[in-house]
Amino acid sequence: MRRAGPGLLLWLGGLAAVALLHPPHAHAADSAAVQAVVNQLATQFMCQCGCGLTLASCTHPVCGPRDRMLAEIRRLAQAGKTPAEITAVLVAQYGEAVLAAPPRRGLNLLAWWGPYAALLAGAVVILLLGAAWTRRPTPQAAPPSPLTPEERRLLEEELRKFDV
Amino acid sequence: MSEVGDLSIALAALVSAYGVVAALLGAGLRRADLQHSARNAVYALFLLLTVASVVLLWQLLARDFGNAYVASYTSRDLGFWYTVSAWWAGQAGSLLFWAWLLAGFAALVVWRQEAYRELMPWVIATVMGTSLFFTLLLALVSSPFARLPFPPADGQGLNPLLQNPGMFFHPPTQYLGYVGFTIPFAFAIAAMATKRLDDEWIRATRRWTLASWFFLSLGILFGMQWAYVELGWGGYWAWDPVENASLMPWLTGTAFLHSVMIQEKRDMLKVWNVVLIILTFSLSIFGTFLTRSGVLSSVHSFALSSLGPLFFAFIALVLIVSFALLAARLPWLKSESDLDSLVSREASFLFNNLLLVGAAFSVFLGTIFPLISEAVRGVKISVGAPFFNQVNVPIGLALLLVMGLCPLLAWRKASPANLSRNFLWPGALGLLAAVLMLVRGVRQPVAVAAFALCAFVTATILLDFHRGAMVRRRHGEPYPVALGRLVLRNRRRYGGYIVHLGVILLFAGMAGGAFRTEREAVLRQGQTVAINQYTLRYEGLSQYPTPSALVTAATLTVFNGAEPVAVLNPQRNIHRGHEEQPMTEVAIRSTLLEDLYVILAGIGEDGSANFRVIVNPLMMWMWIGGVLLSLGTVVAFWPERREALRARARYLVGAEA
Repeated sequence: MRRAGPGLLLWLGGLAAVALLHPPHAHAADSAAVQAVVNQLATQFMCQCGCGLTLASCTHPVCGPRDRMLAEIRRLAQAGKTPAEITAVLVAQYGEAVLAAPPRRGLNLLAWWGPYAALLAGAVVILLLGAAWTRRPTPQAAPPSPLTPEERRLLEEELRKFDV
Repeated sequence: MSEVGDLSIALAALVSAYGVVAALLGAGLRRADLQHSARNAVYALFLLLTVASVVLLWQLLARDFGNAYVASYTSRDLGFWYTVSAWWAGQAGSLLFWAWLLAGFAALVVWRQEAYRELMPWVIATVMGTSLFFTLLLALVSSPFARLPFPPADGQGLNPLLQNPGMFFHPPTQYLGYVGFTIPFAFAIAAMATKRLDDEWIRATRRWTLASWFFLSLGILFGMQWAYVELGWGGYWAWDPVENASLMPWLTGTAFLHSVMIQEKRDMLKVWNVVLIILTFSLSIFGTFLTRSGVLSSVHSFALSSLGPLFFAFIALVLIVSFALLAARLPWLKSESDLDSLVSREASFLFNNLLLVGAAFSVFLGTIFPLISEAVRGVKISVGAPFFNQVNVPIGLALLLVMGLCPLLAWRKASPANLSRNFLWPGALGLLAAVLMLVRGVRQPVAVAAFALCAFVTATILLDFHRGAMVRRRHGEPYPVALGRLVLRNRRRYGGYIVHLGVILLFAGMAGGAFRTEREAVLRQGQTVAINQYTLRYEGLSQYPTPSALVTAATLTVFNGAEPVAVLNPQRNIHRGHEEQPMTEVAIRSTLLEDLYVILAGIGEDGSANFRVIVNPLMMWMWIGGVLLSLGTVVAFWPERREALRARARYLVGAEA
């Protein structure tokens, strides 16, 4: 470890001041109901800081956009707005991209239902192919070389030991 | 030194190009000397990239800040191991790491698998072609040896988020997985090129596939652990594009691991196996592309660049060449046998594959959908965690169900007796678990279904272990010995089951998330916040410097009821050189039942502190599941000489009966 010089001490002192003066997130006496709405909606909206994650999972310890949005959601919830009304306000303000899941309409239905449609199509293909394969007469496999009684006894002994 | 690094990379690109040409000409003209020369080119490539890597490591450790990469990712106060990890922390270094791993794997293949003489020139051509792409990127676009005109006195240091032990293991394991899938892909291409399309290429690469899958699994698990302890939001998986990028090849790779068994046992699914390995390799490249291109914003993109179009072109080339070759070889890929019944292990493997590939498709579609929306509608949208959870949870549950059904269905055709014998008790146990949860007031349908299925699948697996052990016990072995030998003498099968048990624990840990509780509170010294059975009392703040950061730590005494059980110290650290971005260091108290997770979210002027407190049930189960999964893979990986003989013997006896 290097010796701490005066420059380092000054730097640390400055950081200490910054850390201590950093304001706490304001919200003292939110009701449990409001907090529940905020917690729920925090998972439904994307943080606008560019992290690409929801408000609940934004990884920045200090994040102005996240704190502003959470404060706004809290203010709207305290004013008695329902989650749907709060959603409408935020979408009007930030655009559709604020929603963490795209609304189920138009082209977005492709994302919502595409995987299930593909799975269904795949299942149908498996069932149809399976049905065709099981109906097809199986070509006779070449008969395996016959086993001598001694070979057979050894094999069965081995299989009894290892197989289930 | 940088000149040596640059020269090594330039030569590596030339050697890669030579390797492709020599291998192809050697195969086409049947010239043994050219084939031999191509093999030597692989060793030369490994040597050159090792030299480049050693030069970079030397510059990192010597703090040669004249090298732009070293100046960007290290600083004088960075510890030894984090300095080593700077090798893969940035774009140029990680590309070099990728290329070096690939060259190492290629050298290992050439050295150890010489017996596959016919396939080898094509394997070399494929691997060297991939290496050519990466070495050209390193030589022309993103050199780790670029020099600065005026070296700074100190470097910018490693991103504080990357200064976590998990990041020492996560990228290398992830990359080992990504790069490893190149080898089975290369063998598949070689098999198609030479029309040797029986299960030779699958047998040749079984261990490569398993090892790659193992490392990719480890990479994902280390990444989850890192996200959980370092990102400080209380979760481990945010459905971020880069996380998704690692999950997709894992899903298709898992499908491939299962479906190759059908080809080995029944000579079926030949086309499908080739498709799966092409997809897995392409998705591995896609994963590297997403991490390194910056085309989608991600919490894991620690380097942004203009590499996107080049990666995109390479992926397109891989897909076009591979599928064109596949189309040309379709007549040689006909299955030798048919499905006997839709109620059989083969059929259940088909459904397992469908679900795994369906899950990969849904993750892929969700990940790129913002780009599709913007291109088609001109509207920016986001696709985040709520979307992925809603779409993928049903697929995950279906997979869990199939995981229970698959191993206990008989090959060829399951009889009603087989079904009732294997599924009666596990089914009853699953139902009982569901009823118990409902009686105890659990109302989340997903959690009830998940835990019931976990119980069902666990029971099917344990029943199989028990039956196997009982058979051996009848031959006079004590039960524990019988159980141990059962596993050791059927490593592939029972290793697989141990992996399944690990996956069940992972599912259970994920399902535990349904019961997560969270509180947020601003506390003054001496005040408390309660969550579930816990009360946390805030004792105060302390502040102290470390060589690289100023640490502000809160002290909280945790009471379970009235009894003090722990003292936690969540922190906020301000790292030197990254003052604009304070970091949280969460404090976690883990038990088998749940994690108490505390985040110091803010500090007030008056010494008050803002805490987010989360109770995450069953988190420990996930990590134990990860350990079991790794253990099972090692068991399955361990060589077993009698395996092939037994399969043949079983076939002969079955045919005679």
